[in-house]
Amino acid sequence: MLDVALVALIRDMSEKAGVDGTIQYWTRVGENLAKRIGKEAYMGWPSFNVAFREGRTGFSIEGDAMPLTDLAITDVDGDVVGYIYAMKQCCFVPTILRVRYSVGELPRADRAVAEEYNNTIHDIAVCNFCVIHEKFREEVAKNITIGGQQLDALLLATRGYTGETKISEKNLKKIGMNPDQVRALLRNYECVYSILMKGAKLKEEEK
Amino acid sequence: MNPQRDRMLESNPFVDVATHLFLEDIADKQGAAGLNNYLMSLATNLAKSMPKEEYLSWDEFLDALRVGNSIITAFEEVFTPTPNCLVTKRSPFERGWIEYSKRVGAFSKIHREVADYYNATVKPTAINSLHIIHQTFRAAAAERITVNGKPVMYAQIATVWTDGEKKIAPEEWLPVLLQKAGITHTQLNMLLRNNADVWILYQD
Repeated sequence: MLDVALVALIRDMSEKAGVDGTIQYWTRVGENLAKRIGKEAYMGWPSFNVAFREGRTGFSIEGDAMPLTDLAITDVDGDVVGYIYAMKQCCFVPTILRVRYSVGELPRADRAVAEEYNNTIHDIAVCNFCVIHEKFREEVAKNITIGGQQLDALLLATRGYTGETKISEKNLKKIGMNPDQVRALLRNYECVYSILMKGAKLKEEEK
Repeated sequence: MNPQRDRMLESNPFVDVATHLFLEDIADKQGAAGLNNYLMSLATNLAKSMPKEEYLSWDEFLDALRVGNSIITAFEEVFTPTPNCLVTKRSPFERGWIEYSKRVGAFSKIHREVADYYNATVKPTAINSLHIIHQTFRAAAAERITVNGKPVMYAQIATVWTDGEKKIAPEEWLPVLLQKAGITHTQLNMLLRNNADVWILYQD
């Protein structure tokens, strides 16, 4: 119920604070949530990935996500510095469906917030809640270390409730991933992101 | 209810926990009074965004309430021990609270402080911030319903939070509320043992 109430508020919030104000609100929500979850430390990628799969990491609050361990990210020396992670279902889909069956339709402000975010911050949002996601993951990553090194999270691709997809060319370039590869992942997943060592010397950045 | 749809709609903790923190953020800036206004407007907005309803008879309305087809029970599963008394089995906010406790820690004090403000300024029936939303929503949703052409009214008798804490309407209100509900004080206590809310819908 709380989530549906919040959706009903988006229109009101966007009218009062503007769509950019709603983006700021959501960004702060994502940031606050991540900060409250606390710090974590892992010995290496295998232990992090096991914890991730078992839902023990800060990222797990988002719902069922899995590490795609066949898709490792390597640095200029060929060392593994991260992996691709994916969610089968966006955690906001139940909310969107509940709004559909209780209120009738999503407020138009949902689309407006997503478009503003895509135009001004990062062209990756398929609904207004993507704003919370991206910030949340970035902040959670800062609270986790693997082998003493801080992490970074990059949102790579999203698929919305209506089938609309967004792919972040910018972030794919950073990790040296082919857009066709991520497009194939979107057939089976609704949200694809990478978690990697912060400051890792990636191939693209070396150029 | 459609079990397949219910499974599809099962909530994800991320949204609920994020919303709690969003509310705490508002309280940091506007205090308990500001948050209270915000919660009430949130619930009223939600009810207003839902379609109005009209029923030809109270029995037809009760059927819609029981199966969750009415806007007022869209978010909760209820049973009706009498034609005017409604009992909510589980709080729709329970999962969010449990996930918050698991992922973030103890519930922030502001959720109780804002309820104290609401109890002192609106009506003394809330245990925490979520009851402000719930009870305001029910009142606003009731305003959108007519049965046999007459408006429906709502009143809260008692609330039990997930941890077992109870909040019962003031002693001086109870005789009238229980009479409208068609239950005794003992029956109320029996209902409060393993349910989340006891409330009434009635017409003048």
